[in-house]
Amino acid sequence: MRRKTKRLLLSWRVLLLIIFLVGSIVTLAVRPLTFGIDISGGVALVAQTEHPVDSKTMELVVDSLQRRLNTLGVREITIEAQGDRIVLVKVANVSTEEQANQIKAVIESQGVFYMEFAGVIFGTGQDIEYVGIYQIKPDNTWVVPFRISKKAAERFARLAYGKKGWPVDMFLDPPANSLMVVPDSVYRLMNSTEFNAEAPEAPTLLERINRALNISVVAYANQSAEEIKRLAEGKEKVVLVDVPQELQAGLEDLNVTVRYVLRKPGETDRQIITRTLGLYGPYAVGEGLTVGEPQQDVQITGRAPDRLTAEQEARKIYTVLKSGSLPVKLTVVGMEFISPRLGKNFKTQALYAGIGALITVLLIIYLHYRNWKIAIPVASTSLFEVIIILGFAALIRWNLDLPSIAGIIAAIGTGVDQQVVITDELLSGERSTRITRRASVLKRMGRAFFVIFASAATTIAAMSFLLVYFVGTLKGFAFTTILGVLIGILVTRPAYAEIAKYLLGED
Amino acid sequence: MPKSRTGEKSPSGGMGSRKRKLLGFLAEMDYRKMITYPLAVFILALILVAVNFPPLGIDLRGGVVVTAYGVDANPDQLARELSQRLGVEVRVESFTGVDTRGVRVYAPVGTDPTDIIKVMKEKYPNAQYTHSEVQPTFGEMAQRQGIKAIVLAFIAMAVVVFLFFRDPVPSMTIIFSALSDMTIAIALMGIFGIELTTATIAALLMLIGYTVDSNILLTTKLLRRKEDTIEEAYLSAVSTGFTMSTTTLGALLVLWLISTSQTIDNIAIVLIFGLLADFMNTWILNAGVLKWYLSRPSRGGSS
Repeated sequence: MRRKTKRLLLSWRVLLLIIFLVGSIVTLAVRPLTFGIDISGGVALVAQTEHPVDSKTMELVVDSLQRRLNTLGVREITIEAQGDRIVLVKVANVSTEEQANQIKAVIESQGVFYMEFAGVIFGTGQDIEYVGIYQIKPDNTWVVPFRISKKAAERFARLAYGKKGWPVDMFLDPPANSLMVVPDSVYRLMNSTEFNAEAPEAPTLLERINRALNISVVAYANQSAEEIKRLAEGKEKVVLVDVPQELQAGLEDLNVTVRYVLRKPGETDRQIITRTLGLYGPYAVGEGLTVGEPQQDVQITGRAPDRLTAEQEARKIYTVLKSGSLPVKLTVVGMEFISPRLGKNFKTQALYAGIGALITVLLIIYLHYRNWKIAIPVASTSLFEVIIILGFAALIRWNLDLPSIAGIIAAIGTGVDQQVVITDELLSGERSTRITRRASVLKRMGRAFFVIFASAATTIAAMSFLLVYFVGTLKGFAFTTILGVLIGILVTRPAYAEIAKYLLGED
Repeated sequence: MPKSRTGEKSPSGGMGSRKRKLLGFLAEMDYRKMITYPLAVFILALILVAVNFPPLGIDLRGGVVVTAYGVDANPDQLARELSQRLGVEVRVESFTGVDTRGVRVYAPVGTDPTDIIKVMKEKYPNAQYTHSEVQPTFGEMAQRQGIKAIVLAFIAMAVVVFLFFRDPVPSMTIIFSALSDMTIAIALMGIFGIELTTATIAALLMLIGYTVDSNILLTTKLLRRKEDTIEEAYLSAVSTGFTMSTTTLGALLVLWLISTSQTIDNIAIVLIFGLLADFMNTWILNAGVLKWYLSRPSRGGSS
């Protein structure tokens, strides 16, 4: 009996199961599962371009959306293009409907782009007539050529006359007409010559945005919500940057529109300023542009430490210049908002449902066979299967959403079915030993596995179409079903057959 | 008809034989009846689907839905109130889970979900709200994709079944019974007013996998039988199948009871419909066809 147990544990099928199981548990421990928006909370938006676009344009659309949504101060945005018309935007940790709607508004609106000099806006997105392909030179300087309208060029020539080295700012979706409340260090930086390019005598960024965009900035010094509301009199909204979060709720209670910008880990003061303002630049004006001659063909140049960074910077500017005049308009065609607290509910519910289903399987199998030696292995094999599927999901960072969980359920369901087939084949082999001609255990198992392979093959064939053809939600469903069925036929089913043979043969 | 053999040493002997007695009448049924009754049900289901197709969910049709958790309200009353306040016709339905109750408010395309939430919040400030919104154009796309997915999955299934059995009559029967399962499930959805959504389309696709399971089991047992008679092989298959379906049904029922997520709920209920239909289609229709097929006078040569 001892030796039999040892042989069971050492059979490769059982070993394989143990390896997978241990591997999955370790994976789950070091790399927790990630969940989809419908479970963890957040907002998922499906946007559609007004007409099909090629993959290059699609890339541009995705890039520009990413930049513009970043200025909203939300965390964890994923933007994904699907096919030639659909853009999927998922934002985790969105806590209010208002915030969700803000995101929707950004997607549906054209990017608002401003070019500003010395506190005067001399051009908008409409003034950009053409953006050329950027070039990277061998010494890692980059150039993005573009053409501005005649009107903008004339205005700029007048403004910049004799002001060599002064800063030119470009803004994409800045929080115009607002009050910004920032930490003291940020305030001081904005009020310094940090953003003045090569001209310390030029007005500071603080003055420039105040004049051009009507953004006032105050340093946070424990003001109350009421005081801030008073300061924001006549402004459209209050932008809170890296200040205590309670302030947001306080202001919202006073019916003030608030945007909260959270400092990302490791983000410097300069970075948080440029991100909040949607600021690109400042760029120093070259001498050729300060002689009073209007020039429509201009370029932005920069230098980076290496080629990759140069490429990234050039690409960023290219996208921003194009954003104001994106070739296609996006409409949000689908939107789903799940509050994070609810998401937590779903998670515990899924857990209860899973445990409940497993216990039901255990009990029903027991009722059928009146034998715990069958019921416990069947139910625990299913449990192992769930663990292995989840382990895989964690390993490849698959976002578990509700359809994915449905897929796991489907796989487990067919799994139990197949285990019943194996069990019955084994039992009927015993029952008929005396009466009918004896079919060896091996042969009976062969028949059971024919059934199992045939049904697994049909399920996989059917689901793989979904995986390839579907846009959006059903992909997760197809993926976990296929994964579950594969793990079933390759790992858990053979191991179960081995275990069942051992347990039932003993009697 | 061999009597079931009791008193074996096998641990499941007692239960197995009881189940066999219970299901024995199926083995004795005339195959003509076994074929005609399910066919009649299929045709009835077809008619039902034609006259009473399940309503399309908002993800296929377009529209706005706001779900409020932790709200205990009379749906009709709430609907009247909301319709009046918002100036659009809304529909409200309530649902219950193990630890929460709530309502779903359906409104036509173009309604701002935040307006609905605002009005609801006045009455139920502590409820948790989620909303979703789908434009009709996207709904149409999802519909097209859903139809495509079902058709392609079905064809893929048919090809694989053919490859495994290489025998037209049993293969066609399997494929037909999968078709019938799906049709009956859709007809039942229509009767119970369960919406066709991406989730229920997923469930219908799942059904392909489940129905093929039991049908393949039966066909394999009968075509590659090791038992003495067709009846004996059938009984062994049907008792396995009975165990399979009851287990799956039980698990789905629990899932349906516990979950408050509409996605999971609808998937569970559609699968329950399909599995019930499958019980008839596999163990009566498919069995009837196979009985006829295997007992017909051999014309020499095997297929």
